[in-house]
Amino acid sequence: MRSFARAFARNRGAVVGLAVLVLVALVAALAPVLFPFSPWDMQGAPFAPPGDEGFLLGSDSLGRDVAADIAYGASVSLLIGAVSTAAALLLGVVLGAVAGYASGLVDDIIMRVTEFFQTVPSFILAVVLVAIFTPSLSSIVAAIALVSWPPVTRVVRAEFLTLRTREFVQAAEVLGRSRTAIIFREILPNALSPIIVLASLMVASAILLESALSFLGLGDPNLMSWGFMIGAGRSVIRLAWWMSVFPGLAIFLTVLALNLVGEGLNDALNPRLARRR
Amino acid sequence: MTLLSIDGLTVSLPPGADRPNAVEDVSFSLNAGEILCIVGESGSGKSVSAAALTGLLPRGLGVTAGKIVFEGRDLRGASQADMRALRGARIGTVFQEPMTALNPLMRVHDQVAEVMQVHNRPVGRRVQELLEAVGLPDPARIARSYPHALSGGQRQRVMIAAALALEPAILIADEPTTALDVTTQKQILALIREIQSRRGTGVLFITHDFGVVAEIADRVAVMQRGRIVEQGAAADVLNQPQHPYTQALIAAIPHRPPQARPDAVGKPVLELVSVGKTYHSRGVFRAGRTVAAVQAASLQIRRGETLGLVGESGSGKSTLARCVVRLVVADEGAIRFGDTDLRPLSRADWKPYRKRIQMVFQDPFASLNPRRKVGDILIEGPLAHGTPAAEAKARAKDLLALVQLDPGAADRFPHEFSGGQRQRIGIARALAMQPELLIADEPVSALDVSVQAQILALLEDLRVRLGLTMLFITHDLRVAAQICDRVAVMRRGQIVEQGSTATVFANPAHEYTRALLDSVPGRGWTPPDQPTGATT
Repeated sequence: MRSFARAFARNRGAVVGLAVLVLVALVAALAPVLFPFSPWDMQGAPFAPPGDEGFLLGSDSLGRDVAADIAYGASVSLLIGAVSTAAALLLGVVLGAVAGYASGLVDDIIMRVTEFFQTVPSFILAVVLVAIFTPSLSSIVAAIALVSWPPVTRVVRAEFLTLRTREFVQAAEVLGRSRTAIIFREILPNALSPIIVLASLMVASAILLESALSFLGLGDPNLMSWGFMIGAGRSVIRLAWWMSVFPGLAIFLTVLALNLVGEGLNDALNPRLARRR
Repeated sequence: MTLLSIDGLTVSLPPGADRPNAVEDVSFSLNAGEILCIVGESGSGKSVSAAALTGLLPRGLGVTAGKIVFEGRDLRGASQADMRALRGARIGTVFQEPMTALNPLMRVHDQVAEVMQVHNRPVGRRVQELLEAVGLPDPARIARSYPHALSGGQRQRVMIAAALALEPAILIADEPTTALDVTTQKQILALIREIQSRRGTGVLFITHDFGVVAEIADRVAVMQRGRIVEQGAAADVLNQPQHPYTQALIAAIPHRPPQARPDAVGKPVLELVSVGKTYHSRGVFRAGRTVAAVQAASLQIRRGETLGLVGESGSGKSTLARCVVRLVVADEGAIRFGDTDLRPLSRADWKPYRKRIQMVFQDPFASLNPRRKVGDILIEGPLAHGTPAAEAKARAKDLLALVQLDPGAADRFPHEFSGGQRQRIGIARALAMQPELLIADEPVSALDVSVQAQILALLEDLRVRLGLTMLFITHDLRVAAQICDRVAVMRRGQIVEQGSTATVFANPAHEYTRALLDSVPGRGWTPPDQPTGATT
């Protein structure tokens, strides 16, 4: 564990990324303390530029505090990113594991379904799904999960295809262990590294997807989110640039941080790179 | 005439390695028309010595002391450009792995011609002459082929042709026959010997196999942990080894002649009746291909007996063994274990038999789950069959003692052990089930000869103590002679001959068995009995 931390820390970008992520999580957690009011409430004059009237990042067209909106939006973005990634992982890992381990007809069926999902443009599919099931937190999470599992399935299946021919898996087979034990106890732990790396990148793309949906007005109407803020500020961008720029910056930094962390995890979990001192 | 002399060569390893120098104070010389064998186990520094003299040391390794004098010039001071002019032209090299040493996208002609083009020599008809000289049939056709169309032995011949293209003064052969089957190995060794005597080339031959040394060497240098511990004329080193390490290495070579053992009586534990396995590759848009991996294989193993299944790579011996444990499902025939035919049984019906038939695998580095502790590896089988955890743990302790490992091993991960120790863990895992039949698939072929001797001794000891019945798969006839009561010889999926080991080795009935026995390296040499108490 300690050698893992050391390998991770060798990548300086990854440490910066992790620091940014921790900061975003802190802001999200402390939003009710920093801004003890609803993000939807009017706090002063509309269109106040950053620094004016006590607005750190300015106010929007209805006099709402942009800084408070970003803080509350952080928790929505992180929540949706994490939950939808977890759901996509669950689906993708199980399907990939079964396809890679079983091979043959089962593998064929699962892979054809996967390819079907991959050929449909994922964003369009997400838009359609959210539109059909009416925008809400759960429908957005479900839609994002449903369009982001195919790459997981492919990665997991590829890992399983190589690992299942290894002798330790054959040994488990000869010992008479059950299929579930072989899949989850013997093979999966050895396939975790690429899954973890992929997951960190999936959180980033989930946040982007949610922002894009909210930008189009398909976000949960009861939740303040970064994408919604940009969508709302878009029509007045020449009058009040801060309304779109600051939430955009928040998305940019968070996604960049997640990518840096993913790269650091990749370096640390790749035994060939990790051994190089 | 001395072509090459190496004097006090020391090559340093990067900091943090298990020893400061890869090779230390190594001195030897190579004369024209002579084959010098450098022998040693893995990690002894034999390949590094050769790489140092071609200037192709891996990154992080550097020559820190000594002289490498080749044709009167010290190569340590030579520039990169000078070394490039020497490599290929004056120093030819043949590598171990013929499957990866050739570029798969280049025709054989172009690969051999490349050596000449690089050194600005005319190519002309030289490639065909070379291919003919290394004994390749139909050189014109081979020259037009891509490497994938050639067998391993043919590729190694192409490599030798390329290495000899510019008539180098010395040829470095780094384990050139290790990846080949014995019958091919014999041909390649004969070829190297023949070319060397015809052209007077000096050959630096690196190997781990004393049988090969006996076959080909004029002089021998034995390396251990980066140092040459003994060198001299081949006959002297092989028959009167002076250094204890050489003595131990030679004693570890399986060389006991097959002994007539009493025939096992009683009902067979395992009986295979015309077992067959055919692989079909199918495709929607292409014609399917079928490969008969095993055809009509029949054999019997009686209680307490060890049956050796011998054959070269691709003979189907491993597939047959995997059919017995249902890692591969046989298409036809009967696999009778006791009174039950195991072949038609479903996965669930098979489970009770898992306890009774166990397997030891070939590769000690791939056969243990790297993410689980040794203790967990040893109890997983018994737990799957309903043994209480406490009892399984207690048994795991006994098993570690049985395979001569420290009880503390249970709390460590597989990567903390050496190859031989891992193979002991693999054996302990199989024995944890208290099997009646143990299948050992090449259990010693990935190990150094001294470790191999220890594992064979352990298996022999366990067999006697526990009354195990064993199906032992090997490509090495020397190992089979040592451990098997009976042998079955496989070739292209068929069992061509079987009988008691002593009979088959003394009077082989099938021509293929004769060819195999004839190809065992060093068959004309009997290792000396050890005067000192060297351990086997």
